Amino acid sequence: MIARDKLNLLKDKFGPAILRADLPDDGRLFVSVEPSAIRDICRYLFGDLDARYIISIGVDDRPFSGKFLVTHNFAFDAEKLLVCVMVHLPAENPKLDSITRDVPAANWAEREIRDMVGVEFEGHCYPKRLVLPDGWPDGVHPLRKDFAWNEVPKDFEEEREFEFDEPPAGCTVVPFGPFHPTLDEPAHFRLYVEGEMVRGCEYRGFMVHRGIEKLAESVLNYNDIPMMAERICGICGCVHSVAYVQAVENAAAIKPPPRAEYIRTIMLEIERLHSHLLWVGLACHIVGFDTLFMQSFRIREPVMWIAEKISGNRKTYGLCLIGGVRWDITAESRAELRAVLDKLEAEWRPLVAAVLKDRNIQKRTRGIGIADKTACKRSGLIGPVARAAGVDIDCRRDHPYAAYDRVRFDVITSDGGDVWSRVVVRAKEVFESIEIIRQCLDKMEPGPLQLGIEDELPVGRLGLSSVEAPRGESHHFVITGENNRPRRWRVRAPTYQNLQGVPAMIKDQQIADMTISLGSIDPCFSCTDRLETIDLKSGATKIWTEGELLKLVRTKKA
Amino acid sequence: MLLALIKIAILLGGLMTAAAYFVLLERRMAAWIQDRIGPNRVGIPLTNIRIFGLGQPLADGLKFILKEEFTPSHVDRALFVAAPIVILVAALSLFAVIPVGSFLPSKVAGHPLSDGPIEMTVAPGVDAALIYVFALSSIAVYGVILGGWASNNKYSFLGGLRSSAQLVAYEVPMGLGILGAVLAAGSLNLSEIIAAQADRGWFALLQPLGFVVFSVAAFAEAARLPFDLPECEQELVGGYHTEYSGMKLLLFLVAEFLHMITAAFLMVILFLGGWHFPGLTGSSMALDGWGHPGELWLWGQALVRAGVLLGKVFCIIVFFMLVRWTWPRFRYDQLMSLAWKVMLPLGLINFVVSACLEQLQGTLGYAWLRWVAIALAWIVLFGAWIGVSLLGSVTENRPRRPAQPLESDLRA
Repeated sequence: MIARDKLNLLKDKFGPAILRADLPDDGRLFVSVEPSAIRDICRYLFGDLDARYIISIGVDDRPFSGKFLVTHNFAFDAEKLLVCVMVHLPAENPKLDSITRDVPAANWAEREIRDMVGVEFEGHCYPKRLVLPDGWPDGVHPLRKDFAWNEVPKDFEEEREFEFDEPPAGCTVVPFGPFHPTLDEPAHFRLYVEGEMVRGCEYRGFMVHRGIEKLAESVLNYNDIPMMAERICGICGCVHSVAYVQAVENAAAIKPPPRAEYIRTIMLEIERLHSHLLWVGLACHIVGFDTLFMQSFRIREPVMWIAEKISGNRKTYGLCLIGGVRWDITAESRAELRAVLDKLEAEWRPLVAAVLKDRNIQKRTRGIGIADKTACKRSGLIGPVARAAGVDIDCRRDHPYAAYDRVRFDVITSDGGDVWSRVVVRAKEVFESIEIIRQCLDKMEPGPLQLGIEDELPVGRLGLSSVEAPRGESHHFVITGENNRPRRWRVRAPTYQNLQGVPAMIKDQQIADMTISLGSIDPCFSCTDRLETIDLKSGATKIWTEGELLKLVRTKKA
Repeated sequence: MLLALIKIAILLGGLMTAAAYFVLLERRMAAWIQDRIGPNRVGIPLTNIRIFGLGQPLADGLKFILKEEFTPSHVDRALFVAAPIVILVAALSLFAVIPVGSFLPSKVAGHPLSDGPIEMTVAPGVDAALIYVFALSSIAVYGVILGGWASNNKYSFLGGLRSSAQLVAYEVPMGLGILGAVLAAGSLNLSEIIAAQADRGWFALLQPLGFVVFSVAAFAEAARLPFDLPECEQELVGGYHTEYSGMKLLLFLVAEFLHMITAAFLMVILFLGGWHFPGLTGSSMALDGWGHPGELWLWGQALVRAGVLLGKVFCIIVFFMLVRWTWPRFRYDQLMSLAWKVMLPLGLINFVVSACLEQLQGTLGYAWLRWVAIALAWIVLFGAWIGVSLLGSVTENRPRRPAQPLESDLRA
């Protein structure tokens, strides 16, 4: 009903601009619209109807429909609805009105489409290269279907350097990253610093792209992809694997058996447990409190062990396939899991109490890295960052998947919008996760683990899936395709949106607060950087001798 | 002359060994607090004997020495080399005036060693000893600034600037804390300050507020966590020694540990009675062998006094280490406002109060006044504590400057 209502609202307002609509179930709405009306429609959805912006996706659909496809995805969280607004663009010289003036959160997504698919966005507020490497030639778009997955552009300029903006007057540039003790993964922030105050920054990331999306749509098949999806992230891999599988299941209208859903839920929550424990440790490390860092890692370790016991791996569980899961949770590991949870709860409670009472931690985190409700809306911030600002969203409740509609849990929110609130939210979410796993263990009943899917999956269907990762909503978009593989698979990791909120968070605060502010979104650059193409050096592997390396390092650069 | 050389040799050897083994102690303590095991592998080479990892400092030292001495091409070479030397020389020569006990008897087995009792200080009888200590500890700051500047690297430079501001800021409360002790002892000579405490009671008891102010300032001077901003890894990579490696880095690290040892010595000598321990060491400055004649008694007393002093120093250093693993780091502006808005006023209060009390006791001369003075001093301490807690907002986060939209805001 909700989907129908929203469609009617759109039809009333824009009438002829709505070309086609598809309502596969009550939680999804696919609307195809006229390109000329895209900006007004998005403004209406985002502004008047107060939808949350998720992501924009560019698809090279020329081999099938002769056109480019761009979609803007929105969520109505309170109404449990995901909306996908689609436009088809001509094959020659594709252009579209940018929505960034009304929906600032679309900044990166549109730039990425421009880089990867080659759709120009007119009126974009900052049309600069985002994803492609520095030396990549202009006009070559790796996600187009006529670009092979293993192709190396001939005119790649190894020597070309990225052109950064000029810093504002009176500011010094302090480079932060790509290599820095607090960054576990490479990303580069060019901080504009005035004294010890940060006045702004420019971000250059996407340094660890692995071409995952391109590989998925050119060489892998449906059931290979979950294996790769869980390698997208070093911490929350299971999230991506589940999100992908659910997106395909959504597209093909498959419902996995209940036991599989419970197992997925349990593994997702185990992942959230170890991710949050890791984060609390890292946050303490960043403010210089190594004792708590070590303690929370010690408490975390049994969670990794039980994950290994259940799945065979500390991470990369190899859990999902389309229509089910690969393995069962045995009675023995269930008992052990319960014991681990009890111990974890008993140890985590005093630690949280210690953290929440510590005045020095509060001095370092209160009022720091503020992202309020407006900023969350504007930059599309999600997960603990949004919940810490009092934005009550959680995909587990809002867009129920797996077995989350059968368990009870609270969505933890806070209202400070600062780093401290994020600490509180994450620390408390651990208890909810423990409760969810316990309920799943209680309610899980024997049954099949997989559906026997005999037919090929239908072609050309669209699927959306939002999964609440430890860092926020992980959103996957799939168009099913031929040859047992999707035509297009787009991963929107939570950090992708949350990182866009960082410049506003760190502005006008001390450089010392930069690290904890950035750390507070629990950045995961691997997730964000998932889709670069091709190892450029693959053609010419060379083993450097020690002497050559030393010579290289010591050569004085002019 | 020979005596002085022997003293220097013993002191240098002792200090360097102590620094090395304190590193091991610190790592083991960190491991203990954090529920880990810590370095326990290195023992006697080529055997399976591990002796709780006592070989670790040796291995660490060897590693530093054998590591490549890499000098980046963009540094100012002369200053880059000078910085670690300056800091280490300053840290070591500071010990020239610091007593490690009271006296040694002048005779051993009847053979005279020197004309009178041997003072356990490299340079005995320096009347301006405290001023010398201050002068040299200020020079150590130059090492930090030079290192940061010569590295020609923004993080190092920020680290150098931070530490210069921090050390200058904390020298003021430190000086004020010391003034109280100097006033009460009536001397700048460290041995006489100890003697005054043996006579009248430890200054930590007589001037608790001064002791607190001095201790906090000493932590900051030693740049230990929670005051280790000059080199905080999470923000500034390595601070002023980011670009250093090998032996030069070792010199910086040793100097840092020496600063901590110095701070501990000063705390013990100025406020915790030095070699004095009630009922154990005797309380007159000269050795009296607990009233027993005979050289053996004198030697025994001399060694007990040295042991008491070093034991106290050891306890303070352990305290330093415990603090390090118990607190998160302050932020730079919080550190500065703590120095200027809390420690400086407290230091002034302590100075004025102790000056008044000294004057009153001196002029009135009643015996009971002494207990009143102690009571008053403690009241002042708790009053200051409550006052600071009530005004706790001085170290809170500053409000952010109203946002001025920059062009770059739109570009994320």
